[in-house]
Amino acid sequence: MATTDQEVNELIKREYEHGFVTDIESDTFEPGLNEDVIARLSGIKKEPEWMLEWRLKAYRRWLEMDEPDWAHVGYPKIDYNSISYYSAPKRKEDMPQSLDEVDPELLKTYEKLGIPLHEREKLAGVAVDAVFDSVSVATTFKEPLAKAGVIFCSISEAIRDYPELVQKYLGTVVPHGDNFFAGLNSAVFSDGTFVYVPKGVRCPMELSTYFRINAANTGQFERTLIIADEGSYVSYLEGCTAPMRDENQLHAAVVELVALDDAQIKYSTVQNWYPGDEEGKGGIFNFVTKRGAAIGKNSKISWTQVETGSAVTWKYPSCILRGENSVGEFYSVALTNNYQQADTGTKMIHLGKNTSSTIISKGISAGKSSNAYRGLVKFGPGAEGARNFTQCDSLLIGDRCGAHTFPYIESKNKSAIVEHEATTSKVSDEQMFLCRQRGIDPEQAVSMIVNGFCKEVFKELPMEFAVEAGKLLEVSLEGSVG
Amino acid sequence: MKPAPTLSTAFLYPAGQSLPEPLLALRKQRGTALVDMPLPTRKTENWKYSSKYLKLTDDMAISLPAEGKTGSSLAVPGYKVAFLNGVMMPEACEYPDLDGISIQSFSDLSDEEASDLADRLDSTLDNKAVQMARLNSARFEDGLLIRLKPDAVLDQPLFIVHEVTAEASGSAFPRIFVDAGRHSQITLVEEYISSGSAQVMVNTVTEFNVAEGANITSIRLNMEGENVQHIGSTGVLQQRSSRFESHTVGFGGPLRRHDLQVRLEGEGAECKLNGVVVTQGKQHYDNHTTIEHVAAHCNSEETYRNIAADQSHAVFNGRIHIHQDAQKSNADMNNKNLLLSNGAEIDTKPELEIYADDVKCAHGATIGQLDEISLFYLVSRGIGRREANVLLTMAFINELVEQIPVEAVRETVQGRLNHFFEQTFQEA
Repeated sequence: MATTDQEVNELIKREYEHGFVTDIESDTFEPGLNEDVIARLSGIKKEPEWMLEWRLKAYRRWLEMDEPDWAHVGYPKIDYNSISYYSAPKRKEDMPQSLDEVDPELLKTYEKLGIPLHEREKLAGVAVDAVFDSVSVATTFKEPLAKAGVIFCSISEAIRDYPELVQKYLGTVVPHGDNFFAGLNSAVFSDGTFVYVPKGVRCPMELSTYFRINAANTGQFERTLIIADEGSYVSYLEGCTAPMRDENQLHAAVVELVALDDAQIKYSTVQNWYPGDEEGKGGIFNFVTKRGAAIGKNSKISWTQVETGSAVTWKYPSCILRGENSVGEFYSVALTNNYQQADTGTKMIHLGKNTSSTIISKGISAGKSSNAYRGLVKFGPGAEGARNFTQCDSLLIGDRCGAHTFPYIESKNKSAIVEHEATTSKVSDEQMFLCRQRGIDPEQAVSMIVNGFCKEVFKELPMEFAVEAGKLLEVSLEGSVG
Repeated sequence: MKPAPTLSTAFLYPAGQSLPEPLLALRKQRGTALVDMPLPTRKTENWKYSSKYLKLTDDMAISLPAEGKTGSSLAVPGYKVAFLNGVMMPEACEYPDLDGISIQSFSDLSDEEASDLADRLDSTLDNKAVQMARLNSARFEDGLLIRLKPDAVLDQPLFIVHEVTAEASGSAFPRIFVDAGRHSQITLVEEYISSGSAQVMVNTVTEFNVAEGANITSIRLNMEGENVQHIGSTGVLQQRSSRFESHTVGFGGPLRRHDLQVRLEGEGAECKLNGVVVTQGKQHYDNHTTIEHVAAHCNSEETYRNIAADQSHAVFNGRIHIHQDAQKSNADMNNKNLLLSNGAEIDTKPELEIYADDVKCAHGATIGQLDEISLFYLVSRGIGRREANVLLTMAFINELVEQIPVEAVRETVQGRLNHFFEQTFQEA
């Protein structure tokens, strides 16, 4: 493909223009946030009265909160009144009409990741026939789900159709006063996903595939609520390996998981949002609150995440282990390159008897990036016989990056046992020599070594995604060696 | 939002005037920084777990009077310097004139010496991280300056006994500055004790300036009473190929806080930090350490053990910071904790902050209890339950106690530990 920088630049510029052309008063709010804006937002979504009340309560609380500054990241101050809090989906004629209009760099990346052609169009925001798409989705996926009794819809639909479930659980895991970004999200969340798996049901499919194709622009304030009733199982995959183009710089999502007795939720994330250019300009701020409450006996919540995108990541998927014998797991690979900053980790709050948790965190920093693991393992007085094992390893590639570990460990129960270990290393000369000697080029060698380093986490991902995740690391590390 | 509490103006109380002019000036200048000094709260990261124990009442603002006889008539197997309420007591000191080594009270310094010292006080500490040390800088009544000429070697350990007499409420601000010349050697024991029962605060600052090739061993023994809130800060600045070894042994109190900051500024410097903490009753102890690897080829090794019984609370926060140019650094940090009771609490945070790639860093932390299987093993061999508990608990810290290089200190520590075992483990 013969493309010059100029062409690429032109395309980028064009995309930018599009972003502003859609500014028609009727479907985009003026920037700014106040109670009227929230009421209008709620009105457009045809929400019931209680939902509006809930949002307003969150908003009033949010006004009293301060933006957290303890994370090991730096970014310019965000003016929350310069953001527009509602924007209708893009109209078809404003989108690129075919793949030929899309940034060739982006296409090259899809190529490398091996993404199927029809998905590429969707991911690049090409205006595909939405009717055809949704019909196919409905027939292929909705039917077996409905048969099993699984509710899987947008949170807006759920608020209208299943108000009793939403009212019962929304905000119980992440209350609106929890933190600054969760408060903001509670006030203005645009849309998101709702999943309810009834008693004893094993969800017949990974909820990933559906989501990936259906990854419509749910906006920057996404809200997800997943409820696994007694004895049920669900595996949910969020995000995708393809780089996501998005004009919203700030993302403040909230994810709540509720696992009742004997239920199991497996939540996997692959995040590859735009990280900014090589000089660190632009890029998405990803400030996410994810938390699961294992409230039932023998319940289990498992987080797996592969984080390679975003300019700034602030994210701590957590488990509150309240039920007896409940289990929490956290497997994470966080890769930063160029000027990316990540402050991510987990919280395991052990409250119930014989609860156990495992944390495996792999941080890889390259370029001039900064990558921090921040974790909390806490045993309450009632956590008899609770157990935690934590391992967080860091790998440094290049001598201008940073890798940090901030593990908090708090114990109030004498029978609880916690073990924490952390190491920091680099890709050793010996490893490189061995690979080079066998004719493997340096970039590939580093990629192999990094993949080996992350293997423990990748094996937790759904199979086809593990393969993609490996490739994703390879792409993200490009240019960091030699 | 509620405004953060600030230091009561009572603590701006003018201190005694017996110091040389340059030190008085320094103190005054530091004092202005105390106006509206925010006190640590639960939201202050490095006081997160301990701020609730800090109780400064206005009647504690005055300096305790430096009079009366020191009760610290204990014989020490070495040289001895005695301080009473932060002021040196020459009559209770025992050390000969030593070649190349000067041991002086701040009050005895000439103006020239004092001015030189004034320039260097606080230079080893990061004042932002040890905010409470600022109170000492503004309030110290006296201090000890130890200077070692190049190649000077102190042949016996120097015991510095700091006693507070808590007849009435008040505070004491002991201060030590050690200037160790090239290739000098010294072993220093700081012992903190108290008498009386009024509510008092002891706020100490100890600084070590370690020149190339010097070798320092510092032992810190904290054995004050249940009425003493102790906030100590130690700063160490290490030059090329120097070595610093620290042994901290602490028994809990209403508030016990020690900040230890080591800066490895010269290549090939190494430090070894050991710590043992034992708390019982409703006691508290908080150790915060920071090791800054600034230069390349430095080694650091850190081992801390906490034992918390009854309703006590032990905190450990270790931070290793490898700067960008500190390639080939080796850093190892290890913190193990033993919770002996359900009412007790342990909080630990071993932090790594790394900006260089060719380094070997590891840290580990555990919290656990006495191993039932080991207990069973001992009991099944005819050892009483209590004895077995004592054996295993002792085994948990013995590795560190054993390494204390001064026998007399080991004996003191063992005595206190035996007392602790007696109170904690009853015959079943």
